[in-house]
Amino acid sequence: MDSLITTFHIDWKIIIAQLVNFAIVFAVLYFFALKPLKKLMDERSETIKGGLDNAEKQKELLVAQEKEYADALATARAEAAVMLKEAKKDTEAYRAEMMEKALADVANTVANGKKQIEADKAKMIEDAKKEIVAIVMQATEKVLGEVATGKVETKLVEESIKNI
Amino acid sequence: MNENNQTTATNIQTTSLPVTETHEEIKHESTLYAEPVAHVHGFPITNSLITSWIAVLVIVILSVALRTRMKKIPSKLQHFFEMFMEGALNLADQVTGSRKITTKVFPVAVSIFFFVLINNWLGILPLGGFGVIERGADGASFIPFIRSGTADINTTLMLALVAVIGSNIFGIIIIGLWKALNKYVNLKALGSMVTKVRKEPTVLIMAPVMFFVGALELVGEIAKVASLSFRLFGNVFAGEVLLASMSALFAYGLPIPFLFLEVLVGFIQALIFSMLVLVYFSIAAEDHDAHDEGHGHEEKKHETVGSHASA
Repeated sequence: MDSLITTFHIDWKIIIAQLVNFAIVFAVLYFFALKPLKKLMDERSETIKGGLDNAEKQKELLVAQEKEYADALATARAEAAVMLKEAKKDTEAYRAEMMEKALADVANTVANGKKQIEADKAKMIEDAKKEIVAIVMQATEKVLGEVATGKVETKLVEESIKNI
Repeated sequence: MNENNQTTATNIQTTSLPVTETHEEIKHESTLYAEPVAHVHGFPITNSLITSWIAVLVIVILSVALRTRMKKIPSKLQHFFEMFMEGALNLADQVTGSRKITTKVFPVAVSIFFFVLINNWLGILPLGGFGVIERGADGASFIPFIRSGTADINTTLMLALVAVIGSNIFGIIIIGLWKALNKYVNLKALGSMVTKVRKEPTVLIMAPVMFFVGALELVGEIAKVASLSFRLFGNVFAGEVLLASMSALFAYGLPIPFLFLEVLVGFIQALIFSMLVLVYFSIAAEDHDAHDEGHGHEEKKHETVGSHASA
């Protein structure tokens, strides 16, 4: 052992000095390089992982939203179709109703018109009769003069009216 | 060889120091030990210690530069270190088998790696011409300022002691003092001679064997220190001797391939040392009892499966 120490000049003072050197290297590397670098790398990994997770979530959200949008669109289309159908149905019903009403109005108007015409016709005939009577009486008076009496006149008028 | 070295030393003297008028013969030998360049209050400042201080300075400068330029979006230096760290962590995972242990041991292994690497590489820098001439009883001898820190057994011994003692402390922290102690002084095995003798009489043979294996483990720890320190010292010192010899043979061009070889050797030795540190720490953190119990469970499981299959 002694020869080993002598041959290689093993000196505890130098061993301690080298130990101090190594301790400095360890401390400096640990506190200035490894620890902060590891922390930074972990943080970056976390950021990347978070970003990827977020992107995945966003993707899922997008898919969900697209699905929701498609569903909403389909529902809206279906509702619109139903509404359109109902509107058409309502329109048809309204048109039919209006048509019916219009027809009824027309029929009513025609009926009223007919009634009016009938009344006018009757009135006209009456008026014509009255005028004819007056004309006949005047004509009779002119033709018969003073001969004819009141009774005769009336009789003539009545006959004339009958003939008419 | 000595003649060649002496020639080199004379050449070195003419280039780095004022030309001596006496034409005194200056010896320059590759010694097994680091030579003291100066003494401060009796403390020898060896050339390997100076190299180690330079290595520490280089590491400190690099670390501080890295720390000050550290950003979320990495610079080139930071990017290089991140790549190194990522690769080293994955490599360490393969050795330890667990990221949890890797995270704990990694700073020690990386510190050893850089300390050894920078020391190894500083030793092969072509700065051997700078030094002092010491006049002793044997005449004048040239002592270079730079000698690889790891070409001194004191440095490698310190590193080996850090690795082995550190691994045992780590083992105590991870698996507990009792289990760590039982690896070397297997009191549990001795105790089982009393507790299990009725159930398993073979324990009377097995327990002393286990106790002896524990003692062997203790010897193994000392062997680890010797193997770690002498392997690194031997490789680096041999490299320096090789370079010196090649330079002495033909100084122009001939040492270049060997310089590249030594760059590679320096890296490989640093890697081997740090990997062995990882291995020792991982072994120290292993719970042999849990491992054995695990095997026992597996065997029982196999037996059960076997019986079911035969049924």
